[in-house]
Amino acid sequence: MLDIFSQIDFQHWLLRPFSERWWQETLCSMLVGVTCGVLGCYVVLRRMALIGDALSHAVLPGVVIAFLITNNTGIVGLLSGALLAGLLTAVLINLISRASRTKEDSSIGIVFTSLFAIGIILVSALPRGLHFDLKCFLFGDPLAVGATDLLLMVIICPVVLALTTALYHPLKLASFDPVVAAAMGVPVMTLHYLLMGMLSATVVAGLKTTGVILVVALVITPASAAYLLTNRLSRMMILAGAFGGLSAVAGMTLSFVTNWPSGATMVVFATAIFGLVLLLSPSQGIVIKMFRRRKMQWIVECEDVLKTVYRNTHEGIEWCNLRLVTNVTRISLRRLHAIVAQLEKKHLLHLNSDNELQLTAAGRIRALEMVRSHRLWESYLTERAGMAVADVHEQAEQLEHVHELVDEVDRNLGHPRVDPHGETIPPGKKPTPS
Amino acid sequence: MASDAGSTIPLHARNLTVSFADRAALRSISFQLQSGTLTGIIGPNGAGKSTLLRALLGLLPLDAGNVKAFGLPVAKNRQRIAYVPQKQTVDWDFPVTVLDVVLMGRYGRSNSRLWRLLRRPGETDRLAAEQALAQLGMSDFKDRHIRQLSGGQQQRVFLARALCQEADILLLDEPLTGVDVATEEIIFSLIDKLTAAGKTLLLVSHDLSILDRLHQVMLLNRRIIAIGPPEQAATKNNLRQTYGGRLALLDQAEAALTKMK
Ligand SMILES: Nc1ncnc2c1ncn2[C@@H]1O[C@H](COP(=O)(O)OP(=O)(O)OP(=O)(O)O)[C@@H](O)[C@H]1O
Ligand SMILES: [Mg+2]
Repeated sequence: MLDIFSQIDFQHWLLRPFSERWWQETLCSMLVGVTCGVLGCYVVLRRMALIGDALSHAVLPGVVIAFLITNNTGIVGLLSGALLAGLLTAVLINLISRASRTKEDSSIGIVFTSLFAIGIILVSALPRGLHFDLKCFLFGDPLAVGATDLLLMVIICPVVLALTTALYHPLKLASFDPVVAAAMGVPVMTLHYLLMGMLSATVVAGLKTTGVILVVALVITPASAAYLLTNRLSRMMILAGAFGGLSAVAGMTLSFVTNWPSGATMVVFATAIFGLVLLLSPSQGIVIKMFRRRKMQWIVECEDVLKTVYRNTHEGIEWCNLRLVTNVTRISLRRLHAIVAQLEKKHLLHLNSDNELQLTAAGRIRALEMVRSHRLWESYLTERAGMAVADVHEQAEQLEHVHELVDEVDRNLGHPRVDPHGETIPPGKKPTPS
Repeated sequence: MASDAGSTIPLHARNLTVSFADRAALRSISFQLQSGTLTGIIGPNGAGKSTLLRALLGLLPLDAGNVKAFGLPVAKNRQRIAYVPQKQTVDWDFPVTVLDVVLMGRYGRSNSRLWRLLRRPGETDRLAAEQALAQLGMSDFKDRHIRQLSGGQQQRVFLARALCQEADILLLDEPLTGVDVATEEIIFSLIDKLTAAGKTLLLVSHDLSILDRLHQVMLLNRRIIAIGPPEQAATKNNLRQTYGGRLALLDQAEAALTKMK
């Protein structure tokens, strides 16, 4: 055993992520992650996810031609090639879908696949001696990330972030309501092409780390997660930036430790965040919704038990059998035991050894509140909602659990003393002077 | 040219012609509007009412003609025009609250093109937006998400946005469709206030019962059939021409006319 452990170089393993190279790459990919996240908000909201994918593929011919002309993968060449190709894609998509009845998604598909195809042909037709690494373009190659690429990220990302922040209001208006935006003089088309340009530039910045196929995930996934969490665009942008940056740093670190490809690891992290949000988001989260419903159900059942015990005990009959309670409330015996245990802990009722229940003084007060609530709602339903006396019981059975509104109902009805069935309505805790 | 720039005619359309595919949707439309008046555009479905508004705003390519707002081409005077379209093409799931939407109306309040893009709404803009919401009775909803409103309430939010633009010309495309009677009253009292303040309003409607509220009516069916004060322009003959052979509508029109007299 000891032998095995001594073979692993713990110190190296632990420190490796924090080497100088790790710092450089992590900082730069964090920048890319944040930028992709923020820009991604507009991509997601304007339903341009497909365009994001298209742009990332369509930059290939631009990059190859730039490579042909400059003979290397220098910054200026790459960037201008990608920008031109990106804008060309945007313009072509626009032309085809405007000028004909071709649907936008179809024209996106047509344009980017054809540009990508041209790119592939160009790669294969490169003159002898020049080698363009198509695999690196597609899948990324963190080992090939050089100083120039880092520089590229450091230039592009702040520019994109600054532009999206500075143009926040017109971008919001143009994305939300393009027709009125145009009528108000917002340069809608210019902003559209600006977004496209920024997207192409960001794609190029992230290219070496993630490759074209996965870079789209960094644009769409963090923004989609943020979208589930908020109703404000500004917050969405901040959250998406945070998620993007976080996935980049976490992915980079893990990939240094495990030697997994960094781009793929980042994407897995981004998706994990999205999954968590999907399950746990306060307003949309699947788990949270289920949890809330369960909790509500539990409260309702507890209250029903109290009420049933109250109704079935009088002077003389001090105890109420558990069987009777299950029959009336239709709660299973097992669940009923759990409920009774909790109510006992709250000192609202007692359970004796004969499986019989009795309310405590506090329990009686709670039960009376329920009765009051039920009868007030019955009065409200007949008098204000105009329902027939015979029909109100069932609805009141539901409404009685909404305690916050009871006093308001009481006030609204002018503090009635009896309900529509002629039963006395118990007074509230602090009887309000009428 | 220079003398035209200071023109006091809020909106002047000359010979507007618009066509879709090969059919003319609007043919040779010329008219001008005066300050402080409410003009109604009335016509059947497909008459080109919405198209006319979009053409006036320069949102459509024109086959011929031009539009001037206060003597300048509309494209140069957009800050002075507010527009509420008939069909909202907005994305209802967009992460914005009611107040955010109304605040959007405060965009473009600057003469510098660059500053218009970069300016952020400040405290004054916020107050103006809240006031506009209050005028349409929507203050209680200001922090709601726009999805959580009824159709009529959504319509009021877009009116509030146009209102807080503080524009001199308002183009409203069927603002009364789908709103209840109380809201209709709110909108009309607002319109009265605006015209009294010297604003120019152009309102599209296919409901003839509003005839008696208008200062001027334009009967439109691809071309202008008649334009003028309602009692002169909305004659039986003109209405018949506008609505063609549709008898039900004609009955409705006649009922409206008798109500006016
Ligand atoms: N984008 C378009 N492409 C082609 N034709 C169009 C387009 N928009 C409108 N049209 C045509 O132009 C004509 C006028 O349309 P418009 O929407 O202006 O009518 P409208 O008077 O506003 O009608 P409604 O009362 O139904 O709102 C119609 O015949 C319509 O078919
Ligand atoms: Mg219309």
